[in-house]
Amino acid sequence: MIQPKIKMKVVGSDRDVGEVSNVIADPVTKSLSHIVVCTDDGGQRVVPIDQVADVSEGVVLRCSAVTVSGYPLLCRDDYTTVHQQEVAGLEARLDVDPGHTLLPVPEGDRDIPRRGFFTKFTIAINAVLAIPLAYPVLKFLIHPMYAPYSNQWVKLASTNQFSDADAPRSYRFKKTIKEGYLERTFDKSHWAMKASPGTLESVYQGKDIEFRDKSGEVYWVNRRNVPYVVFSGKCPHLGCGYKWRSTKKYSMAFLCPCHLSIYDIAGGVLTGPAPRALDVLPTRVTPGGDIEMIDVEFKAGRADRVRVI
Amino acid sequence: MNGVAKKIYDWFDERAGLTELGDKMLNEPMPGGSRYAYVFGSILVYIFMMQLVTGILLMFYYAPTADHAYESTQYIIHNVEYGWFILSFHFWGSSVMVVMVVVHMSQVFLWGAYKKPAELVWVVGTILFTLVVAMGFTGYLLPWDQRSYWATTVGLEIADKTPLIGDFIGQFLRGGPTTGAHTINRFFVIHVMILPLAIMGLATLHIYLFRKAGPAGPRQRDHEMLTRTSEYFFPRQVYKDSVAIGIVFLITCGLAFYEPVHLLQEATPEPGDYNPIPEWYFLFLFQMLRYETFSGEWGQIVGSIVIPVIFMVWLIAIPFMFRNPERRLRHRKLGFLTWAIILLAVAYLTYDYTITEVH
Repeated sequence: MIQPKIKMKVVGSDRDVGEVSNVIADPVTKSLSHIVVCTDDGGQRVVPIDQVADVSEGVVLRCSAVTVSGYPLLCRDDYTTVHQQEVAGLEARLDVDPGHTLLPVPEGDRDIPRRGFFTKFTIAINAVLAIPLAYPVLKFLIHPMYAPYSNQWVKLASTNQFSDADAPRSYRFKKTIKEGYLERTFDKSHWAMKASPGTLESVYQGKDIEFRDKSGEVYWVNRRNVPYVVFSGKCPHLGCGYKWRSTKKYSMAFLCPCHLSIYDIAGGVLTGPAPRALDVLPTRVTPGGDIEMIDVEFKAGRADRVRVI
Repeated sequence: MNGVAKKIYDWFDERAGLTELGDKMLNEPMPGGSRYAYVFGSILVYIFMMQLVTGILLMFYYAPTADHAYESTQYIIHNVEYGWFILSFHFWGSSVMVVMVVVHMSQVFLWGAYKKPAELVWVVGTILFTLVVAMGFTGYLLPWDQRSYWATTVGLEIADKTPLIGDFIGQFLRGGPTTGAHTINRFFVIHVMILPLAIMGLATLHIYLFRKAGPAGPRQRDHEMLTRTSEYFFPRQVYKDSVAIGIVFLITCGLAFYEPVHLLQEATPEPGDYNPIPEWYFLFLFQMLRYETFSGEWGQIVGSIVIPVIFMVWLIAIPFMFRNPERRLRHRKLGFLTWAIILLAVAYLTYDYTITEVH
């Protein structure tokens, strides 16, 4: 194959013409199709490779200088280099600096407005396909997130288990929930006590406690004269489980082992990072002496109480 | 290579360009030559591969459902041959990963290797750092024991407090109001599909950008010396990387062997005698949230959301804030001081946790 070098002198059949500035390769045949001759007047002419007779001592053309000046001028925008366009196996076959090897842009792609139209149309088609999918995908993913609350009463203890006042104990109960298709039963616990009048006063502070659902309607009221108090087992700081125990500073207190929030017998924050007092749960005493509660949970880490289950 | 092998190789090489590809990958010129200081990136690639391999192995037996996750993990530990080892290797691999990420980032920071033109390498690296932490957090739930359950419950309560989006993020990750059956499914798919794919993609981008920017090399810019001592990535750096990887492998094996994973009781919202603690690399944050400064609703948001977010933004912004091309440490006192203060603060908080009695 004829492989002219860049900067080689180009000689026509009659006189010198100029020098080689680029070569043009055909991506289909993977061979050179033209050379670009920078003529002495500064123009760049695209000369077919079959006009090249010899390249051993510079490029010798079969045609005359006049014929060369009749070949079309190079329109640089109609070409890319091999840096911008990958043609498999081309580099191995051509012995020319890749930066100087031009490749023609296909005719159909030279029209910029038309390319722009195709780009926009492609984006539009993909958007048309993707946007309607976004809604079902989102619904699919958030499906289990907002389950309705259950206001079911659960037995936690019996009144006859409380002999001393102000002696809270953790009471376990079995909880069964269905998450999606899976029904599970596991242990959970809350703290319950028979409160002395002073403690009861601290817990209720002279007011009954009302529990409201999302719509703001009251679904239960804890009367302040009922001496049985149930605290949610979830620490209002960040949701760990706390204990009733002696601490260095307090003889007995509720202490959360995670971030060391300490609460008094009435649930008030004594020290530590907790943003609010322990959560009193909706509680009732049945005629048979059972202490029942609704297993409500509130968000931890907030000063107000936002119900989560 | 003998005749037949060479013929086979050539056949593939002609079609796949193996030699050229291999050359391009390995003939990476390293100004100033190979060093043990440069091994950390390769170590991270190695640990990630090992986590991938051990993770895939664990999935042969692990069942990501709330009713079988614990049992299947116990089965891996107690019944499957070498299950305890593969699980423990995977478990300790995450710790080694976190340590090595911190070492890698520290080295790049102290070397000033994040500076122009490597800013994007650093930015992608910081995103990878968060993904590694997310890997640790999501993987922690999967054995479904008390440790898993409580670390996740507390972690998601923290995420829940993010202003505006926290509630959605918390509910989305839990798949409901509390840690349960949906949570383990979600953490599983995030841990074994979403995060690994993201890490693979971003690590590829990270390495691509690194190759595009070129290695930073030593801090002394003596060009004559750098040219004279320059070496390719292969074979000397690859050899040094391999030595370091071997050491990391032995350390991980040692940890897995001498401190194998034991599960606590199966996950339940009844804590019993268990005092929840997170994985050790989160202890500093855990301890910080015990302080009076970070008490109450807003204090906690500051401690668990605002400070970490500011830290991450600061981390990403480093190459854009410190634009002085000077890389020598003695001329970058502020940078060194900041790095030292952050690491000392983390070390102090972790130490403070260990000496704080629960009383």
